[in-house]
Amino acid sequence: MGNDEIEDVLGLIHGKKSRLKNKILNSNGIKFRHYAIDKNQQTKISNSNMAANAGEQCLTNSFLSKKQVEMLSCATSQGDLVLPGFGSMVQAELNLSAVELHTSHGICSSSMMALKAAFTNIKSDETKNSLVIASELTSRLFKHTRYERVEGKTVDFNAEFLRWMLSDGAGALLVENKPNSRKQSLRIDWVKSVSHADAYPVCMSVGLPQTEVVEGSYTKTWQDYPTYAEAEQAGALLLRQDVRLLDNIVSVGVQGFIKLIQQGYVKPGEIDHVLCHFSSKYFKSKIMTLLDMAGIAIPEHKWYTNLYERGNTGCAAIFIMLDEFIKTKTLKADEKILCMVPESGRFNCAYMQLTVVDPI
Amino acid sequence: MEHLVLTPTGKKCLQSLLQVWLNFDLALSKVPIVQRLEQERLSLEDYQHLLVNLRQQVIEGARWITRGASSFEREFVDVRSNIISHAKEEHKDYLLLEKDYVATGGDLVVIQSGSKNVGTEALHSFLMYRASLPNPIDLVGARWIIEGLGNKMATKWSKAIDNQFSFDRSISTFMSFHGKNDEKHMAELYELIDRVCQSEKDVTAITQSAKVVAKLYQLQLEEVDNHQ
Repeated sequence: MGNDEIEDVLGLIHGKKSRLKNKILNSNGIKFRHYAIDKNQQTKISNSNMAANAGEQCLTNSFLSKKQVEMLSCATSQGDLVLPGFGSMVQAELNLSAVELHTSHGICSSSMMALKAAFTNIKSDETKNSLVIASELTSRLFKHTRYERVEGKTVDFNAEFLRWMLSDGAGALLVENKPNSRKQSLRIDWVKSVSHADAYPVCMSVGLPQTEVVEGSYTKTWQDYPTYAEAEQAGALLLRQDVRLLDNIVSVGVQGFIKLIQQGYVKPGEIDHVLCHFSSKYFKSKIMTLLDMAGIAIPEHKWYTNLYERGNTGCAAIFIMLDEFIKTKTLKADEKILCMVPESGRFNCAYMQLTVVDPI
Repeated sequence: MEHLVLTPTGKKCLQSLLQVWLNFDLALSKVPIVQRLEQERLSLEDYQHLLVNLRQQVIEGARWITRGASSFEREFVDVRSNIISHAKEEHKDYLLLEKDYVATGGDLVVIQSGSKNVGTEALHSFLMYRASLPNPIDLVGARWIIEGLGNKMATKWSKAIDNQFSFDRSISTFMSFHGKNDEKHMAELYELIDRVCQSEKDVTAITQSAKVVAKLYQLQLEEVDNHQ
């Protein structure tokens, strides 16, 4: 749906139109998105259902039967249940038997962590293949009623910010130990991630009341209230982004990129396509000009994104992007694709290089 | 921007300097006084200590720059001119620091009679030593770090200071001042990189000095909390 319909779905907080909405939408550039809830804020499809659908479609496009799948590796920011792990629920929905299971927990980069678990498992000959699924259903956190339960009439900026950023979706990849004999494949050259949680405070969170976030200490979390109702009243169940810290993700992302160049993993001149979970405004930042001057920037025409048409779907975004990219582009053998997922949660940046491989 | 880094060696040097800067930037985020400043949890006393500590380095800044200029021999006469004009522009920056300190309610005598902290001592000594060697082109690395910090102060720290304190007069003029000539200074720096960085050896020397200055600057900031 378009931007004019967002509030029809999420609802008006205290019956009033948001004053921030247009400002935030203008800066993130998103034009269309999907929601798994309807205009009465009723869930139309669960997160594990969505994930299973993506997995089903992925297997339908493959040459593998469900019985042959050896591993299921799943990621989400928030499953339908707090426990058990999201992967268990998805496995049951998919009706996959006796797989090795992995669930990675985090925000945007959790899909890359799930993929890395699958990749290393295959590399060490533990399994021959793995289905990797990332799915998000964040819209449930943005229902107007969630904000209305919080004490005080005004919604703080940090709690409203992501309401206009995030939406729902799922994506899946099948990782195998050999290239496909009939269709083009993408070889994973490497997956690297580097986390800087020790250097910065929490930037994106659920579980902290506003005051705790502002003071930078995390002594009282949602579980430390006598009742969940009190935690909700304190605003500890809202999804928040500390926007003051957000700029750090650019420098941290670039720091990791330069490190990969120095270590010889990335050769900027050899990259044909970049898929980055990033807002376009960063192209205009000073640091990008510096990369350009240092001769290590990747020209803008090599950057691909479908963020503006599909929305920011958190950890699922990179898989959804990759899927549409390979379906809509004609790729040549040996072309190199660099994927980047800088996560602002507490500053974890994941990178991956893929190489196009023709059928043998 | 008037000048961009154009030569292949210059580009390589810039890439290396960028990495040093980003590592430094990350390390700074773990320095307690910087954490409190950026997270807007600074006490007025903290800010006053910071100003007192910075002043002792800034007032010596013009010394190593002019010393460096005089160490360039005739084949680098153009570089010498560039550095002299830069030194002239910044040799009274410490006055802004003093003004900010007084604006916070601090006593001018206190900031003027402050001594260098351990990090400042080490940083100043290193810079004076390198500046005394013939043709100290590696000081480009030092300037890169210090310009970067100026930019960080102007764009980030001065705003954080303004957000957490309210005074009739501005108490962050030193930090915000560095934003004013930023473009010009960076263009001069890029020109310098192209001019003096002509070999792999030069890249290594410039990078090494940038790393040392970054580390010692970090030490200087860490030491701000170590007052009696």
